[in-house]
Amino acid sequence: MSYTLRGRIESRLGAAVPALALAVALQRWWAIELVALMLALGLVLDLCVYHRLLPYQPGWAALPLGALELGLTWSAMRAAGIGAPLGWALALYGVAWASGQLCAHAVFPRLRLEYAEAGGELGRAGVVTAAAVAVTLVGGLGAAYAVRPPTVHLHGVVQGPIVVTRSERLTGGVVRGGIVVHASHVRIDHVTVVGGEYGIDVEHADHVMLDHVRVVRVSLDGIRALDAGVMVHDCSISAPSGPFVTGVLISYSMGRPMSMVSGCTIAGTREGIATHSSMVNVMGNHVVDTTVRGILLGEMSMDMASGNTVEGARGIGIVCMDHSTCEIEHNTVAAARVDGDEDPTRHGVAIEAFFYAEAKVAHNTVVASPGGVRAFDNSLITR
Amino acid sequence: MCPAERCAIVGSGLAALAAFATLRHGGVQAEEIVVFGTQADPTEPFRARARAIRQRRMRSESDGHLAAPAWPGLALRDGRPGALLQTIASRYHPPVDLFLRHAEEVRRRSGWDRSFVERRVERVAAAGDGFEVDGDGLFRHVLVATGHPGHALPEQLAGDPRVVHAYEPHEYASRVAIVGAGMAAATEWLNALAAGAEVVSIRRREPVRRPLNVPRPLFSKRGLAAFHASSPERRAALLRELSTPSYPPGREWDEPLVHAEAEGRFRVEAAPNGAEQIVCATGFVQGYRNDPLLARLQAEHGLAARDRWIVLAPDSTVPELTDDRRTLALAGVAAQWAFPAADTVAGAKYAARAFLRHVCRTR
Repeated sequence: MSYTLRGRIESRLGAAVPALALAVALQRWWAIELVALMLALGLVLDLCVYHRLLPYQPGWAALPLGALELGLTWSAMRAAGIGAPLGWALALYGVAWASGQLCAHAVFPRLRLEYAEAGGELGRAGVVTAAAVAVTLVGGLGAAYAVRPPTVHLHGVVQGPIVVTRSERLTGGVVRGGIVVHASHVRIDHVTVVGGEYGIDVEHADHVMLDHVRVVRVSLDGIRALDAGVMVHDCSISAPSGPFVTGVLISYSMGRPMSMVSGCTIAGTREGIATHSSMVNVMGNHVVDTTVRGILLGEMSMDMASGNTVEGARGIGIVCMDHSTCEIEHNTVAAARVDGDEDPTRHGVAIEAFFYAEAKVAHNTVVASPGGVRAFDNSLITR
Repeated sequence: MCPAERCAIVGSGLAALAAFATLRHGGVQAEEIVVFGTQADPTEPFRARARAIRQRRMRSESDGHLAAPAWPGLALRDGRPGALLQTIASRYHPPVDLFLRHAEEVRRRSGWDRSFVERRVERVAAAGDGFEVDGDGLFRHVLVATGHPGHALPEQLAGDPRVVHAYEPHEYASRVAIVGAGMAAATEWLNALAAGAEVVSIRRREPVRRPLNVPRPLFSKRGLAAFHASSPERRAALLRELSTPSYPPGREWDEPLVHAEAEGRFRVEAAPNGAEQIVCATGFVQGYRNDPLLARLQAEHGLAARDRWIVLAPDSTVPELTDDRRTLALAGVAAQWAFPAADTVAGAKYAARAFLRHVCRTR
């Protein structure tokens, strides 16, 4: 199809109606923001790139252009700090892309006979639709801006503990004594927490995002989520002040949205990342020198651990235990150390299933870990 | 829905059927449309030509059908998953049989037969708020789609008993000269080779390889805007250039020729020499002057013309005879001044849609 510039813009805005309707139905600001972002990027590409480079756009071009726009949208979403869950963000993009194809190839040509020869222009209906989409988006974004959670900027060192009881963003600074979150839709980023029992303690809340937080010298857990849905990205937990510290602990959160721990670096704790009765995606983390286990997926959890690196764990690198169901793939476990002579389950086992657990294991790299990959006590490892 | 008003379509080929189906889709009742033509079956002229050159695939793509909306296209009707994949890559060319079956369905569903009147129209003349068609009544809106005026044959071959036009029924002798370098000629090369003949291609220039009759941008507003904005001289020059023979690129065309060339069964020469049979794949005579109806229309109303084309507005209407009350439009090859690919299905639908806009607006 040879689009005119106006045709590209009208077609894009017209085809955005289903995605926009879904975003409105979701009743989440991030959804509106994401659709606005997709459209803004698309319009910039239409104006600056596509119109010039594609005088004729064959049908197959929808695939590479769709992949390009997905990548750009994802990057822009991260850069803009839009807290959309990955699954929903992909679903929303998928709906937008699919409806774009459906509209361009079936709906618009059906509704407007001249659609193709008019270069994608939709006529009066197109102007009205484009205006309606623009008004909805501007209105939605305006409303989102007006009711957005307040941002609290921390400067210098603040004496805690800080208790968060409303939806807000907490950013920057150093907090002594920990942060307690008792509200949903909270975002904490670029904060350093020093001391306290728990670095950041999230209880009975969901849609909590912890991004680029650093926790040092805590005595129990670096980050604890209890009955909560959290997204933890790019955290750093180190220098524990006692022998019982877990880096990230997510427990009893099965009734909450799935949690994610990704890109974190955890060093010297008792356990690096531990889950109990939760659904957690543990991916791309670096866990070093733990004294009991590197990563624990336990107590009837349904977890995935992928792309993690566990180094120098005493006893066990990654364990799936206690009736849990786990997928453990593409991890690297190196130098798991033997912990005493008595207990074979702690003989430097790189990946372990223990006590009625089921672990699906694939594409992992195990280096210098004498216990290898093993199942104990009525557990099952499948490859 | 359009309020009722009498319309006439002069001509009864594919362009006429496209126009009729479009009017019906736009809400014009079949009883309000009169189709004047010489054959009740609008597919017959095309069917005969396709049969003569043994054409199996259309040059057009999935949306090259005669129903008013482009969707669903023929690839979807084809039913093969491969057809849909091919259409994504702009490589789907529907089978001629499928195209004709669908055209038959369009004819039946649109009520064509109720509107058809068998008559060769000699004269269309402006009268009052409309037009008289051979003195028959007053039609506010008339679309002339009379098609190609006749087969073209090179003068130097006139009277040669070996000559047959590609679009006339024929078999192949053992040594065949094929004159021309367009789609029909290329099809005939392959046909004659498949029949075991030795083929000599007679052509003045190397054929242009183009997927469709004209470059793709010229099928839509983006390319047409520049075309419509160009000067009459430039436009006529471009149309002449676009009318040079072409056929699509692709292995299915090239490989049989390469093999035959290697076997000494295919070559290019300047003259037929000792060929037993000469197939003239030289298309049609060109220009409105060869169409008695159009020539008379132009002369009687003093319509502007340039080279071999009647000058049309971008929407295929005749500017001197179209206003808020009435419409005279051309479709098919005679409408190239408005749409360079007017002699294709896409061109027929371009004119038809524009005609519908006038019909509905001026009612």
